[in-house]
Amino acid sequence: MINRECGVYQTTYEGDMALYPVPLARYAALGGVVVLFLIPLVADSHQMAIVNLIALASIGAIGLNILVGYTGQVSLGHGAFMMVGSYTAAILTTRYGVPFWLGLPAGGAVAAAVGTFFGIPSLRIKGLYLAIATLAAQFIIEWTINHSPWISGGAQSTIYTPTPTFLGWPINTEYRRYYMILPVGVIAYVAALNLVRSRIGRAFIAVRDRDVAAQIIGVDIFRYKLLAFAVSSFYAGVAGALWTYYLKIANYEHFTLVTSVQYLAMIIIGGLGSVLGSVLGAVFITMLPIVLVYVVEGVAALFGFAYASIADFLANLRLIIFGGLIILFLTIEPEGLYRMWGNVKRYFRLWPFSY
Amino acid sequence: MRTKRWLATILTGAVLSVTAVAAEADHAIKVGGQCDRTGATKLIGVEICPGVTDYIALVNKKGGVLGHKLEYTEVEHGYTVDRGVEAYERLKRDGAVAVLDYGTPIVYALTPRHMEDKIPAITPGFGRADSIDGTVWPYIFPMAASYWSQTGAALKYIKDNGAKRGAKVAYLYFDNPAGREGIPMMEVVAKKEGYELRLFAVPSPGLEMGPQVIDITRRMRADWVVAHLFGRSPSVSIKEFKKAGFPLNRVVSLVWGAGEADAEAAGWDVSQGYLGLQYTSVGRNLPVIQEIIQKIYRDDGKEVPKYVGGVYHARGVFIGAVLAEGVRLAIQNHGLPVTGDKVRQGYEAIKNFDLAGFLPPMTVTPQDHEGGGWVRVYQVKGTEWVPVSDWIRGYREEVMGLVKQANKK
Amino acid sequence: MAFFFDLLVNGLMIGSMYALVAMGFVLIYKATSVINFAQGELVMFGGYIAAAMVSLYHLPLAVAVPVLLGSMVVLGFALERGVLRPLVGRNVISVVMVTIGLAQVFQGLAAMVWGAATINMPLPIRLEPYIVWEVFISPINLVAAVASAGFLVAFAYFFRKSRMGIAMRAVANDQQAAMAVGINVRLIFALSWAIAGLAAGIGGIVWGNMLGVDTHLALVGLKVFPAVILGGLDSVPGAVLGGLIIGAVESVAAGYVDPYVGGGTKDFVPYVLMIVVLMIRPYGFLGREIIERV
Repeated sequence: MINRECGVYQTTYEGDMALYPVPLARYAALGGVVVLFLIPLVADSHQMAIVNLIALASIGAIGLNILVGYTGQVSLGHGAFMMVGSYTAAILTTRYGVPFWLGLPAGGAVAAAVGTFFGIPSLRIKGLYLAIATLAAQFIIEWTINHSPWISGGAQSTIYTPTPTFLGWPINTEYRRYYMILPVGVIAYVAALNLVRSRIGRAFIAVRDRDVAAQIIGVDIFRYKLLAFAVSSFYAGVAGALWTYYLKIANYEHFTLVTSVQYLAMIIIGGLGSVLGSVLGAVFITMLPIVLVYVVEGVAALFGFAYASIADFLANLRLIIFGGLIILFLTIEPEGLYRMWGNVKRYFRLWPFSY
Repeated sequence: MRTKRWLATILTGAVLSVTAVAAEADHAIKVGGQCDRTGATKLIGVEICPGVTDYIALVNKKGGVLGHKLEYTEVEHGYTVDRGVEAYERLKRDGAVAVLDYGTPIVYALTPRHMEDKIPAITPGFGRADSIDGTVWPYIFPMAASYWSQTGAALKYIKDNGAKRGAKVAYLYFDNPAGREGIPMMEVVAKKEGYELRLFAVPSPGLEMGPQVIDITRRMRADWVVAHLFGRSPSVSIKEFKKAGFPLNRVVSLVWGAGEADAEAAGWDVSQGYLGLQYTSVGRNLPVIQEIIQKIYRDDGKEVPKYVGGVYHARGVFIGAVLAEGVRLAIQNHGLPVTGDKVRQGYEAIKNFDLAGFLPPMTVTPQDHEGGGWVRVYQVKGTEWVPVSDWIRGYREEVMGLVKQANKK
Repeated sequence: MAFFFDLLVNGLMIGSMYALVAMGFVLIYKATSVINFAQGELVMFGGYIAAAMVSLYHLPLAVAVPVLLGSMVVLGFALERGVLRPLVGRNVISVVMVTIGLAQVFQGLAAMVWGAATINMPLPIRLEPYIVWEVFISPINLVAAVASAGFLVAFAYFFRKSRMGIAMRAVANDQQAAMAVGINVRLIFALSWAIAGLAAGIGGIVWGNMLGVDTHLALVGLKVFPAVILGGLDSVPGAVLGGLIIGAVESVAAGYVDPYVGGGTKDFVPYVLMIVVLMIRPYGFLGREIIERV
């Protein structure tokens, strides 16, 4: 009944190649974007903070998915590339007065350069070895930034940025920050969707699936691998720069190995090789600790326990659930939340005739 | 599956709000703080946070602050900045008028927000030393000796115990912004007193410091070590020093390496003679700790946990006490309803506050958000920390000079 | 010069402790092709069990050690059966993430059961150092090194001479051929995890003694990677060699380079070394040339 393709005929190449050829999907997507822009009307400041965190995480997760999901290069260094973007933006803004909408692409560009450099080992090694090389990248970048006063701004390795302004308006509430992050997020999402449908995206997928065969038919896998690293690091850099403007501070302790692992978890749970999946995963992982706190507190209140006596339990439970969920998803649904979402859609396509 | 989860959240949220509304007095004053129970400093967090809630429970049992109950909300953040920010936003939304910021990186990240939202934060024994100057940082209160003051006091103790010109002093520190805070003070005083100073960084997570300790003991042959380690590292450092043969009674640790948990993790027998700074008194026979033991634990038939009366729990009690005192002065001087700004003024009105000998008499002014910066030197003897000095502070002019310099930027 | 030897000796002793953990990792990889990112957590668990028995329940060491070794063997079996068996054949990233997820679960579980405080793991060995020819040697590091070395030697003997050991080598070499000659491959898988668990258990005791036991002990597992890359991912002697080299290089570099760069060399020198080796000789010093080059 909700068979969306009924009656849709494409008569032009452009129509066929459009991102959302089916009108229903197109309107749904546009409607989704409108809803996103209207969220601040119903959310309070704390909820906006959560939404902002989710949005920030999504951008980074999309970038990582391009590298890991579409190109098959395991990377444990995502946090470090975000760090590069973050500090770049901070340095440009504090020392050279660069406005934030220039700082973002600049942060992305520098991170892309660094990412490409650390992608060079992918020329020689793959799989686990590449993963370990990226792990090394995480540590080396962290150490370099931490110990170069020129970059890190002194012993504190912290750079404060002034409140970013847009056309003279200071961006200093969660709502305004949301409007700073949202356009970037939407652009990142659409760009990623288009990237993976393009020639480059197909080359990425070829590198992931059958790199030897790809090389034989003329896909220069080294070049595309480096490109994947560059694009992914660009996203990471932009995400990192956004963190700087969001927190008004650049500090390396936000982007440690733990962060890299979290982003990997996001794309795995959300679905490798899917842009929507990255966003779903970001939502899930960001909300998990928050929801968990509410749930456990609620249950505890029901049974009359004070928070203090279960605080320890709660904190460790979060870790267990985090790890357990990763394992669960990998064993039960390796393609993640995206696949589950696809299952729901597929079910409703033929509903109520599901056979 | 996602819908089910949201359903569960909504349900529990509804239950929670019902219980909350039912249980709460309608003019409870809300305060809050973050806590690290799973992250790098959880060793400390699991003892400090109960200290805060214990003291606030005590205040509430005795009728609250001038008749109003205090409600303290703790949000766990695992010592990470993004969760710390989210925790603060949540506390703010719930109406907190004063918060504890847990962890120096979190203090740095949240400082701009405190200034904008006009909600004061206390950061006792850590945080940013330049916030001593309340005229520049009105909403950040160290409240207890900052790292600069602690370093100054440690160096004074060293001087009082025999360090002369040409003495070799090593500064062993955790390689992160908190650890590096002590460096300017060490350098300034070393220059003044003519010590030979060398700095030794211990990389995060602070588990491995073998080469540094070997260097200190065998190559540099330091006379004194000022150690600024926290979390796991103090206990590792104790063992490493012992293994290298460096006398522990020449090692002075700043406040976060001086807890029972640290000595216990290294082994009490191993840690004999190790020195550390405290900013509260320690032990169970203090009146306020006795009250807590009696009213919060024994009266309710609960077993008294081991850490009550210990170093970190005492610091939690201190935090609770300062929060309560700030709110009390806010109500007394400026009346209800309590706002963040009034609590700030309440903090700045604290005079000679010492909780019956628990603290050095603390006076906070807009120029000195630290309350004086007093510490006491304790030493490991037997299976406890015993005081070996009175309340001291050292090199106050140098500290204030650094503050002025830092805030000029 | 004495300083250099101080650092070197100290580093080598710590290196043998790395070798112990690395060996467990390589064993699992060789026999089952699984990259175990949770090796550090195994060490942590071993440390917790031992430390809890000695410090919290006050059992004598003579009781604690066998119980620990037994539990680690059981844990190894359980892990292999419960978590890794379902993931046979999946791609690299799945297995990596599962072990990472496992690591998180272990950390949370350990903290829940034993609390957040760091537990002491005392050994009845004196702490003060011996000074031999101006080089100081810490007895406890020495004992740890000897224990690790002893385990490695025993294991090498087992691997080479005993029937089970030869069967393991056969499985590691070519699974299908081993099955064809009648070797029970599943048993071998379980056994390799069990032995890795054993190595982790001993590692837990020695590392736990040196660093104190809490969830951060798992971070030792991260140091394993440079060691195994250096030595070759599929070579047990390589793991030993890698561990020793990393330990020594770390120690000497930290001692000499730290003052010039403000510290932290220990963290990043092994990784730089590792990247260099990855670029020049990806299969490590003693590994076989079977990794796919691009």
